[in-house]
Amino acid sequence: MSDNEITLTIDGKSVTVPKGTKVVDAAKQVNVDIPVFCYHEKIGPLGCCRMCLVEVEKMPKLMTACTMDVMPDMVVRTTTEKVEKAQKGVLEFTLLNHPLDCPVCDKGGECPLQDNTFKYGPPDTRMEFHRANNAKATPLSPVITIDRERCIACQRCTAYSERIEQDQGLVMLNRGFYNEVGTFNNEPYDTRFSGNVIDICPVGALTNTDFRFKARTWDLTNTATLCAHCGCNCNITMGTRLNELMRVEARPNDAVDDGWICDKARWGHQFVHSKNKILTARENSVGGGKPTSFPAFPHDCTIQDAAGKVAKAFKKIAEEHGPESVGFIGSPYATNEENYLYQKLFRQSLGSNNIDHKSYQDTPGLPVEHYGVEQIETANVVLLIASDPTEELPILDLRIKKAVTHCGTRLVSLNDQKIAMDKYSSQSVQYRVGTEALAIDALANGLARELGESAPAKDSDKTGISVEDMKALVETVRSSMKICVVYNPAALSGDAVLRVKRLLKLIAKVPTMECGAIPAAPMTNAVGAMDMGLLPDFYPGGVSMTNAEEIKKQWGENAPTTKGLSALEMIIRAEAGELKALLIHRSNPVIDFPGGSRVADALRKLDLLVVHDMLETETAELAHLVLPSNGPGYDEGTTTNIGGRVQARKRALETSHAPDWKIINLMLNALGDKTDYQRVLDVTDEIAKKVPGYQEVNRRSVGKTGCDRTPVVSADETVAEQSADSGKDGSLRLRVAAFLFSHDKILDASSKLAHHFLPSTAHLNEKDAKRLGIQNGDTVLLCAQDITLEATASVNSHCQPGGVVVPRASDWQGVNGLIAADGGPAWVEVRKV
Amino acid sequence: MTQILFKNINMKDLQTMKVYEEQGGYQSLKKAFAQKPEEIIEVVKASGLRGRGGAGFPTGLKWSFLAKDVFPRYLCCNADESEPGTCKDRELLLKNPHMLIEGMILCSYACRIETGYIYLRGEFHDLNFIMDKALEEARAKGYLGKNIMGTGFDLEIHTHLGAGAYICGEESALLNSLEGGRGEPRMKPPFPAVEGLYAKPTVINNVETLCVVPYIINEGAEKYASMGTEKSKGTKLVSVSGHVNKPGNYEVVLGTPMREIIYEIAGGIPNGNKLKAFIPGGSSTPMLPADQVDVLYDYESLAAAGSMLGSGALIVIDDSVNIVEPTLRLISFYMHESCGKCTPCREGTRWLYQIVERIMQNKGQLEHIEKMEDICDNMTMKAFCPLADACVSPVMSSIKHFRADYEEYFKNAPVGSV
Repeated sequence: MSDNEITLTIDGKSVTVPKGTKVVDAAKQVNVDIPVFCYHEKIGPLGCCRMCLVEVEKMPKLMTACTMDVMPDMVVRTTTEKVEKAQKGVLEFTLLNHPLDCPVCDKGGECPLQDNTFKYGPPDTRMEFHRANNAKATPLSPVITIDRERCIACQRCTAYSERIEQDQGLVMLNRGFYNEVGTFNNEPYDTRFSGNVIDICPVGALTNTDFRFKARTWDLTNTATLCAHCGCNCNITMGTRLNELMRVEARPNDAVDDGWICDKARWGHQFVHSKNKILTARENSVGGGKPTSFPAFPHDCTIQDAAGKVAKAFKKIAEEHGPESVGFIGSPYATNEENYLYQKLFRQSLGSNNIDHKSYQDTPGLPVEHYGVEQIETANVVLLIASDPTEELPILDLRIKKAVTHCGTRLVSLNDQKIAMDKYSSQSVQYRVGTEALAIDALANGLARELGESAPAKDSDKTGISVEDMKALVETVRSSMKICVVYNPAALSGDAVLRVKRLLKLIAKVPTMECGAIPAAPMTNAVGAMDMGLLPDFYPGGVSMTNAEEIKKQWGENAPTTKGLSALEMIIRAEAGELKALLIHRSNPVIDFPGGSRVADALRKLDLLVVHDMLETETAELAHLVLPSNGPGYDEGTTTNIGGRVQARKRALETSHAPDWKIINLMLNALGDKTDYQRVLDVTDEIAKKVPGYQEVNRRSVGKTGCDRTPVVSADETVAEQSADSGKDGSLRLRVAAFLFSHDKILDASSKLAHHFLPSTAHLNEKDAKRLGIQNGDTVLLCAQDITLEATASVNSHCQPGGVVVPRASDWQGVNGLIAADGGPAWVEVRKV
Repeated sequence: MTQILFKNINMKDLQTMKVYEEQGGYQSLKKAFAQKPEEIIEVVKASGLRGRGGAGFPTGLKWSFLAKDVFPRYLCCNADESEPGTCKDRELLLKNPHMLIEGMILCSYACRIETGYIYLRGEFHDLNFIMDKALEEARAKGYLGKNIMGTGFDLEIHTHLGAGAYICGEESALLNSLEGGRGEPRMKPPFPAVEGLYAKPTVINNVETLCVVPYIINEGAEKYASMGTEKSKGTKLVSVSGHVNKPGNYEVVLGTPMREIIYEIAGGIPNGNKLKAFIPGGSSTPMLPADQVDVLYDYESLAAAGSMLGSGALIVIDDSVNIVEPTLRLISFYMHESCGKCTPCREGTRWLYQIVERIMQNKGQLEHIEKMEDICDNMTMKAFCPLADACVSPVMSSIKHFRADYEEYFKNAPVGSV
């Protein structure tokens, strides 16, 4: 037994636990149940409810097990007469003015107050007065309703707001018997993580407005599945009834979400019942007017026939025009299985490497360890590069806050915009929009100089970072014992991501430094899509095209080994008429890719455009053929989160429609591949065999909490010399920032989260605004690429002079249209209306 | 009669620096600064001074408990005098603010503290002006600020006005309130001596306690310790209220018989009435019946009699009163002042109020007393802080000593009524 462990006795059972453990948690280890209301292991002790009173030898009075640290040789008793009387007493007090409207209460059946009363409570009450009445249904926000009568004032929710969210959105108001949960000035409690208070409320006080009175909890079918929004892949439970999604709850997994989910996870899954869902395969009459070279496609054909016909049409075009004339744009939102099969179809059956899933540059693998999100808590420095966790990966935001406030972690950030996390960082270094490559190189050069490696004597001054600031950042990085670099490849322009990897390699050279990174792209399965080889230059598992021998061994003699086209290149080739056929899986390039109307025009020129998606999109409108995709809620498979953890997304809703993997399987069959997958797990098993890093991934290992895949090997990248770019005089460099509650196909107008929608906004630096004569709140026009976009100016110091930051507020805003179709640097003219 | 705190208390302009210094004020500083801080703590320990706020914890010992080598440290003077019946600190603040400042300087020097706060109850806003003025004078004289009297010792003292909550007299709730938070008690451990204000080691002392310190430094620990009883040294301010001819604040040597305080110092019971009960240490201490009037006024004698010396508020009740009336008033006070943080206090105080109120409406029954006793038992030592116990004490002591007063109400109760 080490010094950090303590042995004590609880109800005669000896238990050894780490120092600092609370008695209530130690008791759990020996299956002794100490009832609680206010205590929550993630929030910490409060001592409010007094439910957990226990007898401790040598202590004159009963002690609360939730506030008391274990001590050596402590003797705790939880079932003595004294304790039982106290428990009955506390429950009697708790129930004194509780309405007992259990028959209509949403918490009924899963209520700690019911359960504790059942186990420990008095059989009756001696209360002879009228129970106090209070407001039964007060909205705290559009999605949370509080029943103040049911509240037992345990303060769990307010403690969550203070200690976990750390913004005191929810507070106790008033005093004594009249205290109540509320907000300052009665403002709505509409944080990004507000919904967690519903899960942790030990009574039916904080209720989900959407779920209120909709179903009894015991009538729900609960499925342990994953959130399908950001790259955190938080664990959720989908409660369904009669095949309708009723509610989403958190399903704690310390390695992933630490027990919390964001509001988008909780209320952003209503798209499963969207009116815009694509349910059948169809031929669009609105497609391009050109004669098509694919076979006739009857309206009433089955999905099986449609899949086969699509595959054959692609084959025909590939044969006529060469394999390089067909392409596939996959999705970072699809499962590993779907992605794997699609790349297999295009590579093996069609011989094309024109495969991609993104509009930015990235390569699989890291030159350092791929850290799981848990590692953030043990790192002493977290470096954010171009990452804004609050908007991109909200649960990462909570994890970093926890590390900074409880684990002594220092947060430093290198970013081109101010982010909410700056409040927690010891240093925030801001580079000018568009100069990320220079800024990252400056940090790398600084380190190189410290390490005595060759580096230019002077860094570029275009970044706008002062020499002192960069020096301080270099020193923080150099002197850290364990550093976790969190970078967002999707927010890096050009080849900056390769420079981040070069930087990582350099950090790893610092003596005695532990170094790891988290590639924090915001999409659900961005890491998985790369691992599955949805890339023009890498096979699954990060196998480079240059490794022809390995490719042929694994994928056959005919496997193509020349680099294919990236997604953006495919659009440009389509525009030139060189790309003839494109299959797009769960992606909406017309809106999400740079180029604006050029993308749509390019897609119209295709001989064959097939869109396989779950919701109607602008891209689907242009497709000759539309195939239905089941999508989250209905689909099954695995996804890989930003920390490299592979977890199972399970089906919560029944559908008679063929799953995506089956449709792709049919396409493969139509082109001669004999494999007949019976279940999605057969695909998972094949991935384990064929994809380096995924050998250990199977149904059992993924289990309830997932398993880490072994990181793929990173190929050595050569980084080109920097070439300076500049816009027209007076134009500003555009940065499109992520916004969590973007009004898109997923969060449509009927979304429960519509109150979070943001109007089109442009953040301008004061200096630029002054020069342009723009004031805060003015309507401005952003012009570039023949597109004019309206936005409300927000004049501040959000970014350095010379840049304009536009949060991606909605699909109709069309901000990506301001960027050239090749994804190059975007300079916009800003003028007042 | 020995007067330490109330010596010169009614002297004109004692609140000014000029008069205070003429009376020997701030003389203790020179003597103290000639000694090491640890030696001051030893002197205070040797004097046997105990906290005058209510709990009676030895002051010197409290000072020596500060976490070693953790700085900055803070001093909080608890001037949230809100225990019903207590008004002694108010008189000190009103008439002799410099004595408190001098005591705080001594304490800060002894404990190596550079920042002090005086937390005044919200209703003391007029005293806030007096205190601020006195602090200003002390600053001008160089008793506060940087390098005090050339010793290299720095100290700044600030006043802070509470928002009017009894619970903020509890030291950890006081700290929360001072930090700008909600006035609710904190979990202990950590104790304020380890993690107090802004999570730094903090000394929290009552006004009266700090005011005694200059005397101890000037006159020596032995002289102070020579007064009083074995475990209760020195003098104590008593706020006598209720049915006496001369209610007011008096300074008595600990160990004075209660009879002497009530019948001689406070002038006895008016209108020829007889003593029925007395609450010796403020509303949260159990009341004692008249037959205990010969108890000595000190910590251990009152504890032996089943009550407490508390904050020193002696409430005298004569035989014209049915004890249930003041009991209901006291429950009402605690119900109103419960912060609501923990269940037994929030719910229990209200429930007790409802029951006693009903008894007074002649709707009570004998078994209600049994129920009250059980509710009190469920509250006692089971709440987060002692406020619930404070509410229980008048209820339990009134039932114990004056059950007949309750039965008086039952006589008129209709049978079977609720």
